[in-house]
Amino acid sequence: MRLFWVYLLMYSVYWVWKTLYTQSPGAFGVSLKQMVTYAILGIFLDIILDVGPEWYIANQVRTGAIDTDLMKPLDFHFHMLARSAGEMLFGLGILALPAFAIGYFVFGLQPPGDMTTSVLFAVSVLLGFFVFFHIGFLLGALTVVTLDIRSIAWAYYALISFFSGQMVPLWLFPDLLRKISELLPFQAIYYIPMSIYIKTVNGKDALQALGLQVFWAIFLAFVSRWVWGRVHARLTVQGG
Amino acid sequence: MDGVTLYFRLIRVAVQARLQYRADFFTGIIGVIVMNTVTVTLIGIMVSRFKHLNGWTLWEMVFLYCLWLMGHSLYSFFFWHIRALEDYLVEGTFDQFLMRPASPFIMFLAREVQYLGVADIIFAVTGLSLAFRNLHLQWTGIQWLFFGLAVIAGTLIETTLALIFACISFWTGRSRRASQLLMRLNVMVQYYPVDIFGYTFRLIVTGLIPVAFMNYYPALMLLDKLDPHSPWAWLGYMSPVVALTLVIISSIIWHLALRRYSSAGG
Repeated sequence: MRLFWVYLLMYSVYWVWKTLYTQSPGAFGVSLKQMVTYAILGIFLDIILDVGPEWYIANQVRTGAIDTDLMKPLDFHFHMLARSAGEMLFGLGILALPAFAIGYFVFGLQPPGDMTTSVLFAVSVLLGFFVFFHIGFLLGALTVVTLDIRSIAWAYYALISFFSGQMVPLWLFPDLLRKISELLPFQAIYYIPMSIYIKTVNGKDALQALGLQVFWAIFLAFVSRWVWGRVHARLTVQGG
Repeated sequence: MDGVTLYFRLIRVAVQARLQYRADFFTGIIGVIVMNTVTVTLIGIMVSRFKHLNGWTLWEMVFLYCLWLMGHSLYSFFFWHIRALEDYLVEGTFDQFLMRPASPFIMFLAREVQYLGVADIIFAVTGLSLAFRNLHLQWTGIQWLFFGLAVIAGTLIETTLALIFACISFWTGRSRRASQLLMRLNVMVQYYPVDIFGYTFRLIVTGLIPVAFMNYYPALMLLDKLDPHSPWAWLGYMSPVVALTLVIISSIIWHLALRRYSSAGG
């Protein structure tokens, strides 16, 4: 069923870009094949990265089961990271490969050109995962204060899919919005790996982009640990 | 007390119950508005590059989306919990509806409201007014009337489809997956004009699961995009008919389903 949804999504982005390209080829700076690859990759990454620790934390806080997590002789931040990494590997094995196959055989998703690109892409996805995980972790930490994230989550996911360039590549954004999104960490989740894949960012620029991802991953990890320390102190366990 | 009065009295109770969670109410509203804004901005960025998408300009697409949202908002406000029918069945909550001295259908429908629908309504009205101004639309009385009908038809189409899909759970115990499928087809017609997609897809959303009648076909009529030479132009007027047909079909299915119901023993 998930795969059918993936198929539908790919179907829709495929047709939208195809129609736009038929109308005015050359308005985007890249070829239709690259654009379709970019769009389908966005869906593909969405499957792998669908590991938000925020829902787990929110659920544990709401039911009060968070106390058992905290009693474990294991650093909570690390526990969540391990958990999300496990989910990512699961998603990669079960869903992502068939999804990639659909993209490749049905919609003409291009394989990465060469070895360097593949390696850079893999590293970049991994870094993107770290960034995404920590933003989710921070959102989860917020639930300790607000006790629920359901309504915030809507806005959060919408903003992510917007500023990360998952749906529409950042280079098509109007200047102001592009500048804003370049200052935010979200581009490190989707835009950078995907641009590396279709080679609109390559060579030295690619390494620079990776550096930016490393910066965000480390920075957010520190912020996460600090914030978690703060909220842990004021944690109320419901029922318990 | 007749069914309609009872329905609205129960709905009032449900609204009051919801309003107890005030902070959640406001963050939820803001969340939905942000989400819709992002959606429209993304469409805007793509379309503004080329002026139009298969002949649909930016404001026409805003109109298309908001027309869908208008019908959808009424559905999501009043009938969102239809998809939860399977939980009522599995947990045995459904038996409560059957034991009360009123139509179980009304008891079921009036069970809850989903306040987030309010945010959708606000957004849809704003978007439609802006689109209306920017497209310099001048509607005749008949078009206004048709607009009203199209919105109601949109609500009915989504509601009845949700009901039909949810009723599957009377037979199978579960219907979530079928409902998800419906929701997802729906997501696709809401953003983009159906005419950009391939033939099979258009056939499905027109004939099999007619979500295209929620916005695409009525929008053709309301935006004067109907091609009078096309043999399919009449589809632009069919939304109310489609809605009525679905109401009849879904009520038949509901009654069949009730007759078949055996409690989960909750």
